[in-house]
Amino acid sequence: MKPSTPTLDSLSTIHADGSRKFVHPSDVRGPFTLWRRVAALALLVIYIALPWIPVNGFPAVFLDVQERRFHFFGLTLATQDLWIGFFLVTGLAFSLFFVTSLFGRVWCGWTCPYTVFMEQIYRRVERWIDGDGPARRQLEDAPWTASKIARRIFKHGVFILISAVIAHIFLSYFVSIKALYEMMQHSPAHHAKAFGVVLFLTGALYFSFSWFREQFCIILCPYGRLQSALMDDNSVVIGYDKKRGEPRGKATVEKPAGDCIDCRRCVQVCPTGIDIRNGLQLECIACAACVDACDDIMTKLKRPKGLVRHDSYVGLQGGKTRLIRPRTILYTVMLIVGTIAFSFAITRISPLRASVVRMGGASFYVDSGVVRNQFQLRIINKRNAESIYKIELVGDVPPTLKIIGVDQTITLPPMGEDLKTLVLTLPQADFKEHFKFRIKVTDAARGDSDETRVVEYLGPDPEAAPAATLNAKDFIR
Amino acid sequence: MTPPSPNNGPVLREHSYDGIQEYDQKLPNWWLFTWYITMVWFVIAWVAYYQLSLGESGEEEVDKALANIKAIQLKELEKLTDDKLWAMSQDEKIVGAGAATFATTCVACHAPDLSAHINGAKLPGQPLNDTEWKHGGNPLQVLSIVRKGAPDLTKGMPPWEPQLGLTRVVEVVAFILSKHKQGEPITLAADSPLKPGAAATPPPAAAASVTPPAAPAATPPAPASAVPPAAGK
Repeated sequence: MKPSTPTLDSLSTIHADGSRKFVHPSDVRGPFTLWRRVAALALLVIYIALPWIPVNGFPAVFLDVQERRFHFFGLTLATQDLWIGFFLVTGLAFSLFFVTSLFGRVWCGWTCPYTVFMEQIYRRVERWIDGDGPARRQLEDAPWTASKIARRIFKHGVFILISAVIAHIFLSYFVSIKALYEMMQHSPAHHAKAFGVVLFLTGALYFSFSWFREQFCIILCPYGRLQSALMDDNSVVIGYDKKRGEPRGKATVEKPAGDCIDCRRCVQVCPTGIDIRNGLQLECIACAACVDACDDIMTKLKRPKGLVRHDSYVGLQGGKTRLIRPRTILYTVMLIVGTIAFSFAITRISPLRASVVRMGGASFYVDSGVVRNQFQLRIINKRNAESIYKIELVGDVPPTLKIIGVDQTITLPPMGEDLKTLVLTLPQADFKEHFKFRIKVTDAARGDSDETRVVEYLGPDPEAAPAATLNAKDFIR
Repeated sequence: MTPPSPNNGPVLREHSYDGIQEYDQKLPNWWLFTWYITMVWFVIAWVAYYQLSLGESGEEEVDKALANIKAIQLKELEKLTDDKLWAMSQDEKIVGAGAATFATTCVACHAPDLSAHINGAKLPGQPLNDTEWKHGGNPLQVLSIVRKGAPDLTKGMPPWEPQLGLTRVVEVVAFILSKHKQGEPITLAADSPLKPGAAATPPPAAAASVTPPAAPAATPPAPASAVPPAAGK
């Protein structure tokens, strides 16, 4: 049977009847493949190690959903700091814009977790159990013998095991390794929710990497689609030098040929099943497997490398690639502005959080010649250490205004939070009109952080007759 | 017009819009499968949810959950009696937890020693360390005030149950009771709305009538009724 050649007209991973056609890429060796493996290993090590490395008493990255504290390399954020997430999201977006406009979908081929898991874990396992590309293709077409069944069971067993491990590591980002280990020693019924999450994730990972595979990158992933719109003719992508390669095939005396000998190595190694010689396509994830494959052949033929190479559309036509263009300048500016804003924002994150709200009920109380305002003061200690806070009133405050209920200092345990009743009193004679002032909470011991909240002191209108002071009965009926 | 695909590719459809044509290709089966599932699911959901009303709407679910919380709370409240609260006031753990809540939430007006005085100066709250009570000194009466606040809106005692929750309110009451003895005499303060005849001079009580939960003021001489009005229903 002659192998069908991928075209631009149809998806090469789907048969004409709509059924799935599995891609079994052949082995490939070369510098890009090597570096891709090194990069992936580094990323995997980071993924596995982060929950294990303690920084300031917490895992390096620990998204503590239960306590609503988010730890990043010693920096602890509370729910109130969620706005910083804006910079995280926009920063990721701008970085993606920037990289894609310059170098195409390198994110997809080199760093996307989906690709890293797929190519460097699951595909390696499959290679180890079922052999190289041709062997795997052969095995797929082979009848269901006992040995094939045994191999399939073994392979899928390993896949499920790996999926479970990845899912557990994922959960440890949210509950910490210690809590995870604790949970693993009990029956699943003790923590049904966490167990359900791991079960679902294991299932999803197993499905994705044992069956769904490149279909996700080709059809589902929104980032892949988005990136197609971010590239232009000057973006450096993986391309085939048509001018040099065509006409492909064997050269004869009557019919001279280009450098491409039509060996189909580039097609065999492609993990998404395309023929790069048809030009840049939606499916291409810039993994550079075809570059390595073609360079290998060209070296053997003693022809110059780079028939398939990283180049822009303009470059492949013989022009000069312009890296500096309005699009890249704009993305660079946005990236710089975003980085500056983020750097500024992160310095504004205080290890102390304070808020003051007026207590429910009346807005003020008059009791034996004293005007009283009641507030609630919430202080959050985001440090992993005990802190002592000083409470002061600042601004244009009458000297007779007194704080009661809250001591001048409040001690909070590590990561502690406290909601204090804060009662302020002022002799009615000294109350002339509503006034604003500030309540300042300072880290008394370290003196490095403070938060100030503006509140308004309310009271009866001094002009009005005393009898008309607020009394609920005047407002009824 | 695009020529047909060279290697027995898909067939081009006849129609052309602005020069754009489309191939007649099958969608991936897995994709079609998800689409069929949504169609089947639509029928099931439409019949079950909108026609047979088998499922609950989000609103009903929330209402049910809230009613459930309320029922549990009422059950807890029904279980609470004066004797039980007194017993709690002997439990070190409960009293300790109550003391912690008292220290952050209540001391502002009632002072750390419950006297409502600090350095000789009167604080806004009622003293809780003597045997004279404004709103009644039975444990259930104290509980009612902490839960629902003072019946007189012009005083500063807010309802604490919405903020602290019933458990912490009960703990605080246990802490207050731990400073008292069961069976000690209880006298009503001079300005107590519970005093016989206080209903005739309505100023504070009138204010109280605004808030339905403020049952004790509305039914003056029924000390034990502080909690049950809610619990009875």
